[in-house]
Amino acid sequence: MLKLDAVTVRFGGLTALSDVSFEIPQGEILGLVGPNGAGKTTLFNSISGLVKARGQITFDGKNVIRLPLHRRARVGIGRTFQIPQPMHHLSVRENLAVAQVFGAGRYDPKRIDEILTVMELSHKADADAASALALQELKRLEIAKALATEPKLLLLDEVLAGLESNAKRTFMLKLRELHRLFGLTIVIVEHDIETISELCTRAVVLNFGQLIADGTPAEVFANPAVMESYTGTAHA
Amino acid sequence: MTELVLQALFSGVLIGGVYALVALGLALAFGAMRIINLAHGELVLLAAYMAYLVESRTGLDPYFAIPLALIVVGVASWILFLLVDRIKDHRELNSLILTFAIGIILTNAILLLFASDVRTTSSAFLQDAVSFGDVYAMRGELIAFVLALVLMGVLWWWLKSSWYGRAVRAVSSNRGAAQLMGINPTRIETVSFLVAGALASFAGIALYTMSVVQPATGHALTVKAFIITVLAGVGSIPGVFLGAVLLGLTEALTVTFASSALQELAGMVLFLLVLFFMPNGLFGARARRG
Repeated sequence: MLKLDAVTVRFGGLTALSDVSFEIPQGEILGLVGPNGAGKTTLFNSISGLVKARGQITFDGKNVIRLPLHRRARVGIGRTFQIPQPMHHLSVRENLAVAQVFGAGRYDPKRIDEILTVMELSHKADADAASALALQELKRLEIAKALATEPKLLLLDEVLAGLESNAKRTFMLKLRELHRLFGLTIVIVEHDIETISELCTRAVVLNFGQLIADGTPAEVFANPAVMESYTGTAHA
Repeated sequence: MTELVLQALFSGVLIGGVYALVALGLALAFGAMRIINLAHGELVLLAAYMAYLVESRTGLDPYFAIPLALIVVGVASWILFLLVDRIKDHRELNSLILTFAIGIILTNAILLLFASDVRTTSSAFLQDAVSFGDVYAMRGELIAFVLALVLMGVLWWWLKSSWYGRAVRAVSSNRGAAQLMGINPTRIETVSFLVAGALASFAGIALYTMSVVQPATGHALTVKAFIITVLAGVGSIPGVFLGAVLLGLTEALTVTFASSALQELAGMVLFLLVLFFMPNGLFGARARRG
């Protein structure tokens, strides 16, 4: 479904991503891990079109690297941010409806109701502007907006950050439900090793902009280089 | 005395309606692109001169100039947008300089084409007085006020209920997030500028039918539109209307009870007072919630 080939991003003299290559088959839940500054969000930004990258990003057989941001959303790449980015002036339902009309090119109120139900936002759908939501609701809206564009690939940037353990577990179950219900391919950025191990079938590790490990979560977290990048010390 | 006050209030509300029409275009472009179009008053003025052109050349009522004004001001707005869109860095600041310069160019172009003479409608129908008890208004003022109310309603509906209107609000809310929803911001900004141009066209014609225009009027209109946008607290159509009426009332009462020479000054004093005591504008909190 998604193939990255020698993806490189430079900001002036700083190389944020260096020759990153890997593939994601359809239906996979992939964990993207690494310490702060490893390049995880930059990789998301380059896939979704927020930053210019060199190399090749092939999605559904088409190189999308030159497509602008809004066109990538339309071909099926959905994305969320660690800090939710709602369209504040619009109601929750309008956020989803606009995303569906412009992202998926159609208006299907039933589908929007379905997403609202799954994301437990039905009771807030028309009540107020999105800016009035609480943090957890905003996080759910962030995913709901991306779902409304009817993506094939969903990039989730630290959606579980800041949640306490029970809320995190509930959210993980929710992600599994979304994966099953909408037939999604999911890439999730997450720091927590346990979460990645439980949720993902595969993990890719970045450090200083380079891919240092790729495998099942068990294989990856048994890799001394990965643990060293995480802890800053050699693993015993 | 009571009659004078009533007349001033009535005139203030009527001119406020047209001021709202002038300010809506500026507020819309600001909402969508976060730029203040300092040439907006000149676009309104351009439409006013189209009304003058049609009336003086054909003898038709100025409102027959609407199609011509929509085309001319629409093309001018589009060119303006293309220029603003070329600014890649510090767009908010650089666009101020660019649009200010375009405003000067437009003012001088109008001066060159139409001379510096004061112009107003010669239509007896529009200049006829209509009385409501003790207060009077020109028929042109009443038509312009009703037109302003209708257009504000149409704009409100468009922003609230049409997909493009919702997309304008989405881009205005969060440009990056809107792009991730598949919205092409350039297209939405173009549409916003064209709608702002259409509003300027109607505002210019309405202004010509109820007031006098000359090449220097454009700059004063931009200042008024800016004052109203700040009074409203940016982003609220009812806020723009109430801010405009407040400005109209302030000016009318100043003219009635002090001097017409103090009219512009009174508007600026109102502006500074609101900025000082209510920095978010009169309707800032409401505007943030849309």
